[in-house]
This record gives sequence, structure tokens and C-alpha cells, in this order.
Amino acid sequence: MKKLFTLFGLAIALSVQAQSYYVYVTAESEDEVSVVKFDGKKAETIKTIPVGVWPAEIEGPHGITVGPNGEYWYLSLAHGNPYGMLYKFKTGTDELVGTVQLGLFPASMQVSPVTGLLYCVNFNLHGDMVPSTVSVVDVESMTELDQITTGAMPHGSRLSRDGMKHYSVAMMSGELFEIDALDLVVTKKFDLDEASKMLDMDHSKMDHSAMGHNMADKGQKEKAMDHSKMDHSAMGHGAMKHSAFKPTWVSPHPSKDLVYVAGNGADEVLEIDTKTWKATRKFKTDKGPYNIDLSPDGKYMVVSYKSAAKTGIWNLETGEELARLNNSQKVTHGVAVSPDSRYAFVSVEGIADDPGMVDVIDLQTLKVVDTAYLGKQAGGIAFWKVED
Amino acid sequence: MKHLLKLTFLALLLLPAGLMAQKKIVAPDEIVLNVGEKKKLDIYVQENGKKSKEDVRAFSRARRSVYVDSTQTIEAFKPGEFEVLVIGGGSVADYPEGNRKSIKVRVNYPPISEIKIEGIPNTIYAGTPVALKYKVIDKAGLERADVQVTFSSANSSVASVSGFGVINTFKEGKVNITAKAENIENTISLNVVKNPITRIELSADGDQGRTGDVFHFNAKALDAKGNVIADAPIQYSFYGVSDDVSQSASGLIKQDGRFVADEAGTYTITAAAGVASASKTLRIVPRDVTRKIEMVGQGSVNDKHTSDLWIWEGVDGRDYAVTGTWGADGKAYFWDVTNPANIFKIDSVQVDARTVNDVKISEDGTICVISREGASNRKNGLVIIDVKDPRNVEIISTFDENLTGGVHNVFIYKNHIYALSAGQKYYIINIEDPKKPYAVSKFELDTPGHAIHDVWVEDGIAYSSNWSDGIQLVDVGNGIAGGSPKNPVQFASYAYPNGANHAAFPYRSKTGKFYVIGGDEIFPYGLNTAKGGVNMAGGYLHIIDFTDLENPEEIARVEIPYAGSHNYWIEDDILYVAFYNAGVRVFDLSGELMGDLRKQGREIAWFIPNDGNGYTPNAPFTWGAQLHKGHIFFSDWNSGLWSAKLEPEKPKETKIQSK
Repeated sequence: MKKLFTLFGLAIALSVQAQSYYVYVTAESEDEVSVVKFDGKKAETIKTIPVGVWPAEIEGPHGITVGPNGEYWYLSLAHGNPYGMLYKFKTGTDELVGTVQLGLFPASMQVSPVTGLLYCVNFNLHGDMVPSTVSVVDVESMTELDQITTGAMPHGSRLSRDGMKHYSVAMMSGELFEIDALDLVVTKKFDLDEASKMLDMDHSKMDHSAMGHNMADKGQKEKAMDHSKMDHSAMGHGAMKHSAFKPTWVSPHPSKDLVYVAGNGADEVLEIDTKTWKATRKFKTDKGPYNIDLSPDGKYMVVSYKSAAKTGIWNLETGEELARLNNSQKVTHGVAVSPDSRYAFVSVEGIADDPGMVDVIDLQTLKVVDTAYLGKQAGGIAFWKVED
Repeated sequence: MKHLLKLTFLALLLLPAGLMAQKKIVAPDEIVLNVGEKKKLDIYVQENGKKSKEDVRAFSRARRSVYVDSTQTIEAFKPGEFEVLVIGGGSVADYPEGNRKSIKVRVNYPPISEIKIEGIPNTIYAGTPVALKYKVIDKAGLERADVQVTFSSANSSVASVSGFGVINTFKEGKVNITAKAENIENTISLNVVKNPITRIELSADGDQGRTGDVFHFNAKALDAKGNVIADAPIQYSFYGVSDDVSQSASGLIKQDGRFVADEAGTYTITAAAGVASASKTLRIVPRDVTRKIEMVGQGSVNDKHTSDLWIWEGVDGRDYAVTGTWGADGKAYFWDVTNPANIFKIDSVQVDARTVNDVKISEDGTICVISREGASNRKNGLVIIDVKDPRNVEIISTFDENLTGGVHNVFIYKNHIYALSAGQKYYIINIEDPKKPYAVSKFELDTPGHAIHDVWVEDGIAYSSNWSDGIQLVDVGNGIAGGSPKNPVQFASYAYPNGANHAAFPYRSKTGKFYVIGGDEIFPYGLNTAKGGVNMAGGYLHIIDFTDLENPEEIARVEIPYAGSHNYWIEDDILYVAFYNAGVRVFDLSGELMGDLRKQGREIAWFIPNDGNGYTPNAPFTWGAQLHKGHIFFSDWNSGLWSAKLEPEKPKETKIQSK
């Protein structure tokens, strides 16, 4: 009996020890994607996949996501002539399956488990301050079904837990957008600069009815418009505001009707109730909050502080910043939390010929456990699998 | 008891399924439309056998051919077979067969409405052929290439017509020729008249020459009295016999009488108008321009990739070079190349970038500009450097306004920098005070999806390379179109079909011709993903005759198979061109140009920079070339900066005088 218990204990110990985590990470200035494996102690790049078609041009793999069933991973290549591309690869074999052209500087994206469609923001990072779009792609046939106009420099592309609402922010126009994932129309938008200010004010004395920033209150949906018939010259894009809040990411809560928006210019994260469409909390961060991921158990919010080269770990319930950890080098970028809510994988770009890095943070001990190295400018990061 | 447990277990298993909604997409498997037709799609979600109010949406997988709007109405724009994807809302788990369905959409090809036949002469001389120019137009107004057209003659003793629409005439008379596609016909009447042409006079500007020499033939059709028949349809053709028994004679003949031979041999050029014809024979000898080239020196860079180069004479009279680096640490290197056999590094600068793709030096040798891509703050731009003392270069200023997307290429011309921005346009930046650069204007096309790769300025004209929009000639101070740096004015352009124009370089030939040479950048074989694998490029140089600015003509090419052209330099009728996989190649551009210059033996020399100690060993990937004081300098992606020298041209021992 004693023997049996010993064997049972050993089996459990082995199974815990043997659990390995895998993420895909882009190296934007190397035109590579790396597979990083973390076995609980050690993080390492176990495979490097060259991407693109132009050896003498940097095509800039930026956004990356793994589809809901884990069979495929998707990659946006930011630079083209002039439009960027979406690539589809088989997970594991990393064989290229298909490509489709999107808009200017396609960036972050996610696939809805309900519609099966992929939603990718066309960041148009270096373009004029004009509204850009969210590309909607049928990943089965790799065809772009539509481009939905949102704001200037849209970034962060995440879906609600039911897969039916898409959220993105517009970095330069300072807006949060909600898109109906099936109807492919903007259903709500939100002025984040205004919301950030409002949270610091005494709301009891304000006349909210005059603000007119809540389309949802009117029960309206912006129906599909024929943009070809619009007079764009009269839109005064040149006068478009430059957001001080500079939102760069939005992440929905895994179980509540809340989204969290990183205000890269304001050094804060806003919590927004998607039912009332009101900002409910503000989290003051270190410099340059950039990407956010929430632990699937809803306990933690992990925020990359790009300018500070740190990562903040927040207790979502109390609103307390539990830890502010130094990253291994400068320019912290993306965050992916493991499905068991145990580890956060944080990509760190570096400068010039610094190698890209992935810091693995233990969300229980709140410490960086190990760092994996990859090609230059580690950016987009997507969780792939946990393996026993 | 055992049965009861079994039944209870079964019921428990079945219960959730029974309680769960059973949804299904209901949509037709196939619909058929005509071009221009709209139809409301009958699609819905069925729940437990009944039509439900669950959201359902249809999306076209080819929205430029068929489009589905938010009211689920489909409209057909183009004929063909397409697919519409239908997606049902709600939980995917509620759909046992999945929440997606495809509808096959067949859009009928519209019936043919017209066969347009154009350019028929009023009269045709008996015995001369006419090729019909025709277009098939359908009822949607689209030109159709997929339709079989048949031709017939009503009187084959006067004229017959081939299946390709070529009419052969035999004798005088009227004849109807009918073109038919589906049930549409177009009949034209031809008036075949007596052929007055009794003979052809053929003259040429020479009867012997070298491969690559362009001959001009002039044929006149004459009647019995010696009058010139001005509207005679003259056709030029040639046949030849190569001096090389295992080679076929080849060349190019244009229907305006220009001819060039690729191979040495004997060529007979014939001008014909019906039965009358005349021929002339040419004796063609090898061009014999090859010369020896020898490697002189190398400034090795083997810890990173090297990009572009520029060589200049410094203010101290010595010679210097600057090279960029690619996908690395943002460095540019400065070299002393006064002795091309002893190239050595003298200084470097490092900027916040991962690629310094382009480097240029001002005409007076005092200012250097380098481009930045991959800056850590994602704000790229350019850096202006004082190079009066190349051993102690100093950054004067940086400039990134409107250039944050990355500057891929730059050029300096008369106190202005021409800098590409985000691959879409170029800005013109005044650097009269290099500490305070400021943009004075920009040039950008307004075509859909326009992009740009390079700009070069000479004689007040900016030559930009705009991929599928081709080469753009812009007056930035020449005066030809009233342009200036503050007011760039586009005045000519040429786009070639492959859409791969990545470089452009002007060349004024001693013949009086004004050429612009456009280079491709193509990697048709994709990335070599093997570790240390060498990438294979494709593409070639397109030589465009811009002498008539309004009617540029693509007339010649420089191609090294399986290599791929990159940057180049032209001086004294000689082209120095880097081919990625084939090193630096030197071509004779003297005289008029036409056809395939490599086949014509115009290649003078070549040198492939293999370097066993290169960043990737023995993997030449040559970037650009420049002639400076008799030496060819070139940069290679994997091995740095090189110099080579052509042996002097020697008098040829030939009795045949070339044209």
C-alpha cells in the first residue's frame, strides 16, 4: 500500500513537473516567429520560423494569434507595397497554409469562436491621421470579407467572452470601438480622453445628457454605409484630435461585462463597463502602459509598461498593483497569460541589435522566472498550448 | 434495479441534448444570378424545426464580384462561380451541424452583345494581308476573352480569313468577312483593289556590324511608274544563320524597320507588301567587348549585413566611402578608399535603428544623409552627418517629421534631401542649414494602393520608382514642367506590366536618345527557410526610351537569369549593375539600344564576390555598384565593401567597321 502511495505521489509530481507551456512570439525586425517553451523553470526558443517573402526588406511580423481550436496560428505582416498581409500557419508543423492582403500596417487580431472570423486592426501606424479600419477575414478561405472604418491608428483587437463583440481602440483619436462581430458594424464608440478626465471629476454636478457620446443609449447601430459616396474632403481629417490618452490596447474581462484599456499617453488603465458604457475605475500605472492580458480566472490584470520597461500585475478585485517587475531589457511589448492563470509571458523588444526576449512571470510568486531569447524586436505574443 | 440504473443513466445522457436548442442554418445550396441582378437571400436559422429569430448573416467570399449587403441582398457584378458564407448567431454548441454554411453562387456570363472590329483600311491591295483587330463585348459591357470567335469569308476567291482573324487577299473585288461569337455576328465589307505595287526598295544604314548594333531599314513600295505607294502595308521579317553551329540566329525586328541581332552570323531582312518584296543581308560579328576584371580590395563586414554605399572625394582630396547596415545595430561605416587595394574603416556612427538602408553624400562632399528603419520608439527618419572630416564624422541633426514610418531611400540634390516616407511618398527637405532641416513639399501619387521604393535626382528631375505605378519623372527644378523643390510637377511616366519597379536611373546616350533604366525587385522563389540558406532573386532592368516623353517605349532589357537586379550606376556608356545572386555586372550601353543586351554580347565583365568569411559564407548578395575614379566599388549584403577594376579597352583587330 505504501508503495502504491509512493508511486501515486511520484506520478503526480512528475505530471506537475512535466507540464510545459508554449507561446508563439514575433520578432518584428528579424522577420521571424519563434516558438518559446517554458517547462516551469526554463524558458527557451525551441523553433524559429522565417516569415515573409522579401529577404532584403523587413516585412515586420507584428500581430499574432492562435485560432480557437488551436489548429492554426495567424500572423500579420505590417509592411507591404503598401498593404500588409495576413498569413495562416498550421500549429506544430508551422506550415504556411494561406495568405490574404489586408490594409495598411495590419497589427493585432483575434478569431471569434462563434463567427469563425478573424478581426485585425489596420494600425496604419505611420500614415496620416485619418480613420483606419478593422479587416474581417474568413480564415477558412482566407478572404477579406469587409473593412470596417473605426478611428485613427486602431490597435488592440480583442473579442468579448461570447465572441460576439469586438473591441479595439484608436490610438490617435482616443476612442474605444465596439463592433458587432456578426453584423460587422460599429455599435458603440467611446471618447477615452473624456472618460479619463470624467473619472477625476465630481459627476454629480454634470449634465450627461448633453454629451451625446453614448450611441448605445439611443439604441442605434451604425448601419453599413457606402463610403464611396461620402465627401471625404469635407471631413476635416487634418483637424482630427491627437489623443493625450493614446489608447493602445483593450482587453475584455473573461467573465464580466468589462473591458480594460491601456492609456499609453496617460499612464493609466481604464476599466469600462460595456453594458452601461461608462468608465468605472482607473488604474494609475508606470510609464507607457501598452498591452494588457487578464488571467482567465479573472483575478489578475497584467500590463506591459513599454516606456518604463516594466510589467505591472494587478489584483482586479481590489485594484491593487501587486507587483511592478523590471523586464530584462528596454521596450516591453506584449502579454499573454497561460490558460491556467499561472504564468504571464511578456515580450520585450530591446533596442537596435538587442535580441528579443520573453520574460516568464510567475503570477503566484510575482517574480520573473526565466527569460527566453529570440530575434530582434520581440512583439506580438500568443499563447499556444499547455502540454503535460 | 440494474435496468433502472441503466435507463436513468441513458436518460441523463440524453437530457442535455433534448433540452439544448437544435439549430440549423437554412440556406439554398446554390443560387444563379445574372450580372447586375439583385436578390434577397432566403436564409434563416431553424431552431427545433421552426424558423427562429436568431441572427444570421451572409458574406461574399468575392466581394468585388458578388456583394451581400446588411439586408442580406446579394448583387452580382461579374460573371463566374463564387461562394457566399452564411453564419448563424448564438452559441456554436447549439448547431449540431455547425453554424456556417456555404452557398454556391453562379453568375451567368451575359450574352454577347457586340463584336467590335476596328482599324479596317478603306481599301486593301490584293495580295496583302490584314490582321483584324477585334473585341468581344457582352451585354454587361465587359470585354470577354473567353469567347470563341469564328471568322468566315463570303467569297474566298477574293479573300480568305484564318481562325485568328488574319485575312489573306487574292484578287480585286468586294468581300464580306463575318466574325461570329455565340449568336452575334459582325460583317464587314472589304474593298480589295488592284495592287499597284510592283516592287519594294529597301535601304539600310549599314550592311555589317556587331551583335547589339541597331540597324534601321527603310522600305518603299513603288508602282510601275516608280511612284511611292504611301499606304502600302509593309511587313518586315528576317531569317539568319548563326556562325555558331549549335546556336540559332536570333534577333529582334520591329515593324518600323529597326533590327538588332543577338548572335554573330548572316541575317537577311525582308520587307514585303504582298508578292512584292525586297531583302538585304547583314553580316554580323561578335560585339567583342569583353574585358578582364580583377578584384582590387575589400573592406570586410562579416558580423552584420551591409546595405547601400556611396563613394566620394572628400574636401581633403582623399577618397572615402560610406556603407549602411541592414537588420543590425543601426550603424553606418566610413572608409578610406583612396587606395582601392587597401580599404579600411575610419569611423562609424550608430543611430536608433535596425537598418540604415540608404546612404548619400552631398555634391560638395561635406554632408552625409543616412536613412533609419526599425527605431526602438517606432519613430524613424533620417540623420544628417557632417563628413568634412570623414575620420571624425559628427551628427548634425535628425529629422523625422512625417518620416516615422521609416525612410527606405534618400537622395541629396542641391541642398535638398529627397526622403521616402512609409513607402508611399517622398518629402523634399531643405538642408541649407543642416542643423535646421525642414520639409518644403512632398510628392505622392493618387492612384489606389500606390507605393514607392526609391528616388534619384539628376538635372532637376526626380526619377521615382513606384512599383506598379512604374517610373515617375518629376520636375523639381529642371524647368521642363515649371517645377521646383517647393512645387514638384510630374510630367512623364511609364509602368511596365510586372509592377515590380524598384529603381530608376536616367541615361542620356551619345546617340541623342534619352533612356530611363527601371529595375525590378522580385523574389519569385520566396524565402529560403533553410538555416543559412541563400535567397534567389528574379527580375531584370527595363530600358525605356523616354526621348518622346509622351510616348515612352520599353525597348531593351538587361537580365541575368536566376539572379535578380538591384542597384546600378551608368557612366561613359557603361552600366555597372549589382545582381543579387550574380555579383557586379558591367554592360556596354554604347549606341542605340534594343532587345536583350546580354544575349547580344554586350556584357563586358562580371565579378562575383564570394567570401568564405562572409556573414553568410560564400553567399554573394550584391547590393549596389558605383564607379569612382576608374574603380568599380560595390557593396555586398554578406561581405561588405569591395573594389574592382576593368582592364583598359584595347583596340580591336577587326577589319569590319561597326556602325
